[in-house]
Amino acid sequence: VSTAAPARVLVVEDDPHLAAGVTENLRAEGYEVSTAADGEQALAWLAAHSCALVVLDVMLPGVDGFAVCRTLRGRGDSTPVLFLTARGDPADRVHGLEAGGDDYLAKPFHLQEFLLRVRAILRRWDWYRSASATAATAVLSFGGNEVDFRAFRARTWSGETQELTEKEAMILKVLAEHSGEIVSREDLLERVWGYDVFPSTRTVDNFILRLRKRFERDPANPRHFLTVWGVGYRFLREGEP
Amino acid sequence: MKAARVFQLTALALLVVSVVQVGWWLLDQRAYTVEKVRLAREAYAQQTAAAQALLDSGASSARVQQLLPGIVVSSGRATLAPELERSLTTEEHRRYNQYAWEGSFFLLALAACIAVIARALREEARVHEEQDSFLALVAHQFKTPLASLQLSLETLALRAPAPQAARTLIDRMLADLARMELMVTQILESARLERGRVEFKSEPLQLAGAVARVLAQLEDRARQEHIAISSDIDPRLHVLSDPLALDVVVRNVLENALTAVQGAGGGTIALSARARDGEVELSVRDSGVGFAPTDGARLFEKFTRLPGAGGRYGTGLGLFIVRRLMELAQGRVSAHSDGVGRGASLRLTWQAAAVAAVAPQPAIAPEPRP
Repeated sequence: VSTAAPARVLVVEDDPHLAAGVTENLRAEGYEVSTAADGEQALAWLAAHSCALVVLDVMLPGVDGFAVCRTLRGRGDSTPVLFLTARGDPADRVHGLEAGGDDYLAKPFHLQEFLLRVRAILRRWDWYRSASATAATAVLSFGGNEVDFRAFRARTWSGETQELTEKEAMILKVLAEHSGEIVSREDLLERVWGYDVFPSTRTVDNFILRLRKRFERDPANPRHFLTVWGVGYRFLREGEP
Repeated sequence: MKAARVFQLTALALLVVSVVQVGWWLLDQRAYTVEKVRLAREAYAQQTAAAQALLDSGASSARVQQLLPGIVVSSGRATLAPELERSLTTEEHRRYNQYAWEGSFFLLALAACIAVIARALREEARVHEEQDSFLALVAHQFKTPLASLQLSLETLALRAPAPQAARTLIDRMLADLARMELMVTQILESARLERGRVEFKSEPLQLAGAVARVLAQLEDRARQEHIAISSDIDPRLHVLSDPLALDVVVRNVLENALTAVQGAGGGTIALSARARDGEVELSVRDSGVGFAPTDGARLFEKFTRLPGAGGRYGTGLGLFIVRRLMELAQGRVSAHSDGVGRGASLRLTWQAAAVAAVAPQPAIAPEPRP
């Protein structure tokens, strides 16, 4: 863990054995761990505390994991979420990520892989936070748009205020850090999602389309989010002449 | 299975084609009749006109009627004989009636066949769907203890824990295995119950004896979890049930209560029984985690896990099996709770067996519990 104080993780799992096993292993890795046995407990805990990561079981009694995540995002809480679930089919995976999850692990899982994913999510967020830490890096202005990375909010060229999802903000951050350079789809996947969460790089394309819709005056003829055919994308702060 | 489905679908298609065919036949026959009647009327009109022309050219009435027998002449005017007009109308109505009756009969018969086949197809689809969702649920239920088992094993391999911690992990793994074994047993039991493949004897059984037998098995677990069980059942109370089924019902209900009380960190379970209106009612009250009052009926459905309820280690099948076995014994079961965290009570009702007809049974007297 890169921060000085140990990162705190909330484990939401109704099976006592699994909860204990996950908790003990996270503690052994140096994390501080709190637990909740159902969705309502988790939401109550998160309303009063903050943490670096939520490990969230999907099939919880009562309010399920997806609903917990959606409620959390609805509150404007961007705490990263790692879903644990017994249903591992691709449709379910996409469902989880659409609910606002950062990663998704099917039960039964390998301990090492679980720990790796926890580290990867925390590392991504560490990078995002530190990359948005100063007044200069917290705000990005381009083409009349102004993006506030810390508040996940943007004011567009038309004067509209827009809420950004965590993934949109992260993609924008990666592109802004490499303004003028070509960033490949694979790099974007790696930096924003980690390794094998999504089945294809098409996901990145969809997110770029969304960003164009939000920030380009003419999304069909983009001036800031340019496609470099066969490679990836190039972001131009000043806009293409 | 697939061939039968193809056959059913083919039959359905043939029936639909037949409906269209019958409909077409009806329309065709009607059009034919209309045309026939029109032609007959036209011919009669021509005859009448011809008769009138003969009359106008000076032919006698008798001569005209001889030439054209369907024509009546009165005061120099030729008209069609009324019985001819009547018979034409009658024939027209007779044919329409025939089509209406025959058509409705055939259409009704075809519709009935279609309904029967459609129903069979729907039923089959429902069974398939149920089997699929049952399999999905079973697979899901197994994945949690499997995940826990794998996690414990990998923890042992990765961290080489101290003997005390290793012991905890091993106990956890043994409990996970026991849980999976229980699940296999209960899944098989419930599958047999669902297919009705159970031999269910109905004989008089001493309730106190069955309860005492199960309590003796659960004693250790109750002591470890700081759960005090009290039992007040008149040894004279006898119920009509299958001996194995009675044991399974009592065991499942008590295990459920133990888990609920364990979830609340310890407490009490009280068993009592009474006879009423030819029935015997066993009440199991616990001070466990309880459930929302509206969830009482859902507890007995397959794979139900309620928030805060004691389903954490359970398979979600225990109370489902209880319900099915109670139905087979022509008894009832219901659950009630005032809310989450406020305990629960289960009520099981059997038909009472006349005590005089009962052979004496070796009963294990319920021992006082901590």
